[in-house]
Amino acid sequence: MMQTQEITLNMGPQHPSTHGVFHILLKLDHEVIREATPICGYLHRGIEKLAEARTYTQIIPYTDRMDYLAAMLNNTGYCMTMEKLMEIEVPERAEFIRVICNELSRIASHLIAIGTYSVDIGGITGFMYCLRDRELVMDLFEEICGSRMTFSYMRIGGVAEDMPEGFLEKVLKFVDYMPSAIDEYDGLITGNEIFQARTKHVGIIPPEVALNYSLSGPILRGSGVDWDLRKKRPYSVYDRFDFEVPLGTRHDCFDRFTCRMKEMRQSLRIIRQAVEQMPEGPVMAKVPKVIKPPAGDVYLEIEGAKGMLGYYIVSDGSNKPYRVHVRRPSYINLGYLSELCKGWKIADVVAILGSLDIVLGEVDC
Amino acid sequence: MVENIFTSIAGSLRSVIDAAGAPLLLNDISVVLLKVVAILVYILVSALWLVYMERKICAYIQARIGPNRVGPMGLLQTAADIGKLIAKEIIIPRAADKVVFLLMPVLIFVPVLLLFAVVPFGKDMIAVDLNIGLFYFFSIASLSTIIFWAGGWASANKYALIGSMRAVSQMLSYEIPMILALLGVVMMTGSMKMSEIVNAQQHIWFVFTQPLAFIIYVIAATAETNRTPFDLLEGESEIIAGPFTEYGGMTFAMWFLAEYGNVVLVSALATTAFLGGWLAPFGWTFIPSWVWFFLKLYLMIYVLMWFRWTYPRIRVDQLMNFGWKVLVPLTLANIFVTGVGMYIYRAIGW
Amino acid sequence: MFGQGLIKGLAITLQELFTKKVTVQYPEQRCYIAPRFHGEFTFEESKCIICGMCVNACPNKVIEIESEKADKKKLLTGYKMNIQYCLFCGLCVESCPRDAIHFSQNFEMAKYHSKSIPLIMVNKTPEQIAEEKARIIAEAAKAAEARAKAEAATGAAKPEARGDAKKEPPKAGAKPAGGKSDRTEG
Repeated sequence: MMQTQEITLNMGPQHPSTHGVFHILLKLDHEVIREATPICGYLHRGIEKLAEARTYTQIIPYTDRMDYLAAMLNNTGYCMTMEKLMEIEVPERAEFIRVICNELSRIASHLIAIGTYSVDIGGITGFMYCLRDRELVMDLFEEICGSRMTFSYMRIGGVAEDMPEGFLEKVLKFVDYMPSAIDEYDGLITGNEIFQARTKHVGIIPPEVALNYSLSGPILRGSGVDWDLRKKRPYSVYDRFDFEVPLGTRHDCFDRFTCRMKEMRQSLRIIRQAVEQMPEGPVMAKVPKVIKPPAGDVYLEIEGAKGMLGYYIVSDGSNKPYRVHVRRPSYINLGYLSELCKGWKIADVVAILGSLDIVLGEVDC
Repeated sequence: MVENIFTSIAGSLRSVIDAAGAPLLLNDISVVLLKVVAILVYILVSALWLVYMERKICAYIQARIGPNRVGPMGLLQTAADIGKLIAKEIIIPRAADKVVFLLMPVLIFVPVLLLFAVVPFGKDMIAVDLNIGLFYFFSIASLSTIIFWAGGWASANKYALIGSMRAVSQMLSYEIPMILALLGVVMMTGSMKMSEIVNAQQHIWFVFTQPLAFIIYVIAATAETNRTPFDLLEGESEIIAGPFTEYGGMTFAMWFLAEYGNVVLVSALATTAFLGGWLAPFGWTFIPSWVWFFLKLYLMIYVLMWFRWTYPRIRVDQLMNFGWKVLVPLTLANIFVTGVGMYIYRAIGW
Repeated sequence: MFGQGLIKGLAITLQELFTKKVTVQYPEQRCYIAPRFHGEFTFEESKCIICGMCVNACPNKVIEIESEKADKKKLLTGYKMNIQYCLFCGLCVESCPRDAIHFSQNFEMAKYHSKSIPLIMVNKTPEQIAEEKARIIAEAAKAAEARAKAEAATGAAKPEARGDAKKEPPKAGAKPAGGKSDRTEG
């Protein structure tokens, strides 16, 4: 008698499309998924525990290593949390530099998200074009802080160094060039009917479910919920800029993807306005050499590239924290993965995981 | 003179053997052997060249240069790769079916070699001019399906199993539009002989009279040779390498060389059936016929590579939908329209 | 029309086929490296005051300093950076009060053996240490002597100018005796 059998497939830690060492245990009925269990922890490096034995400034390079594709945002989140704890006011010029670096980092992160999504779906050329343009962002970061990926450029009270000569002109040159590159990606990837057939109506997350599972970032906005911390709880100097928040209508993978594309364009708008409004002044507040915050705890969230990035710091009055906890958006966004994959095919697991845009450094911390 | 260089070599061999007073059978056998050797040399050299061409075109589309260190302009890169692959260890999984596992990479070359016998390289340059040339082509081409399937099955690997199942469904479903698309050509020619198909295009190439059939043929050919957008067989981002996952070293190289051989074959068929084979466009016969054939062949291969590096891949159920629900009705409609057109054409008496 | 996006994609890649390539033939050609690039470390021994700020600033305990005391001054005898643990964050460069440690623009730090990775900036042999110690003590003695003579000269010229000037000569008198004995020992 003919019968079919469920097979267990390890979409294992070593896989070209799991965005790092991420393991999904699939129970398959030929191509259709009956159960999907995500297993993370292969990249756990104990950053939160290590932070308990480091001074507050020494933790800044460790925060880079979590979401290593958008490291400026991690640095900014941590420094802003410490500034809230110690009630330091950051000078305006530093705030504007922070905004420019954050938005450039957001563009860099979305470029990787779009490029790797294109590779996962099969169009390798899209990935190469995105990386070619990410190199321009990396060059700008190299100018300002010397590193290309893990910057540790922000300090508690401001930024480490002022911008070098000619930096703003180079930023403007990049902002002028980038829209044509985004048009190229739109033509090659977004407008491609095969790509649309792979991603439309796949992996639908209804808005109530997204809110229940604490999803955030482009995933939440792709599901139609208008929630961007830069608009809802403006921090730093974001209330001085005029930009839009793109939302999705079909709540599927394609909407999340186009949200990222449109967010890149909005980030370019913000950078241009920040360059035009850049004030003069110091770049670092008056902060004591040895940072000893008052005892207490503080929690602050910023709009990271992948979602709401939150830092919870408990201080006991000494120069080392008692506890640092990071609300990592990629880790929380993965909570819905097993429900989301049921009933789809293997190829769709790749498409869904790519649209959630996780980075393993952040998932495992 | 350059035009007839290959036929004259064969002719001189015949006359040499005749002069030595050998029986006719020996004469025929030696000429056939010469043709076989020539085709083998061509296949091996073309596989090397095609790997290089693919890598260079891929690189240029992706804003980089591609191999340019090994040999002048990187021409010896494939040779270096083959050298590296020969030196690698072939790891056979313990649960694998050893005989089938090792036999399949060898057998994958058999349909490729068999089919080169009916490709018209130039004027009077077909190895074996069968009456049923086109029919022979399709019947042997469908044999490669079972070899892909057996290779994946024998690997004892779940990814390979899924890949080989996809192989069977894909290659089976896309043979039908391919054959039906070429039926229009056969109707207009009146015969399945390869040389007759080329001769029937003397006034106008079939790509102009049967454009829909050409497009459907190219799509089906891309699916048959497992190239993007239909490369879900070896969809690298999902099932790693499909049926080839467990193969290493020279066995891996054999699968890919056979894939490139298949690419040459389907492009050769497209050139013969639609682009006029070895016929010179605009009557420019000062370029020999076999040079025209190769030019058109490599143009078709370039088009296939262009598709590969632009498009993402489609999902398996969308593949089946597209093949059965879109391509097959379109080809049947094409046959209907061709038939009606031919009837009217003859009734008017053109 | 169905297929329009497909054709546009083909047009984009065809156009890209003929554009200028962005890659660089490394190692014959090099890319532009910014002045602030975090490359290999350079260390100026003469500027180091062995304050240990760099050691304390480093998150990963990369820097190891060995020093010895010579008279009342410190002498740097060893400065080793275990850059296999280094994050290249730049906190040590930032914290140095005398600007003794810098980043260079060299990024080719690969080595064959792992034991040759640590950067040994200063590593003095015991003979060198002894020699330098002697030199420092000699200089200190000379400086003290010179200071004593200068003070004695000013003290003799203006004895009523300062009250503490009278205090100085006894001290000046004591030191040369100590210095002389050190020199004889050396």
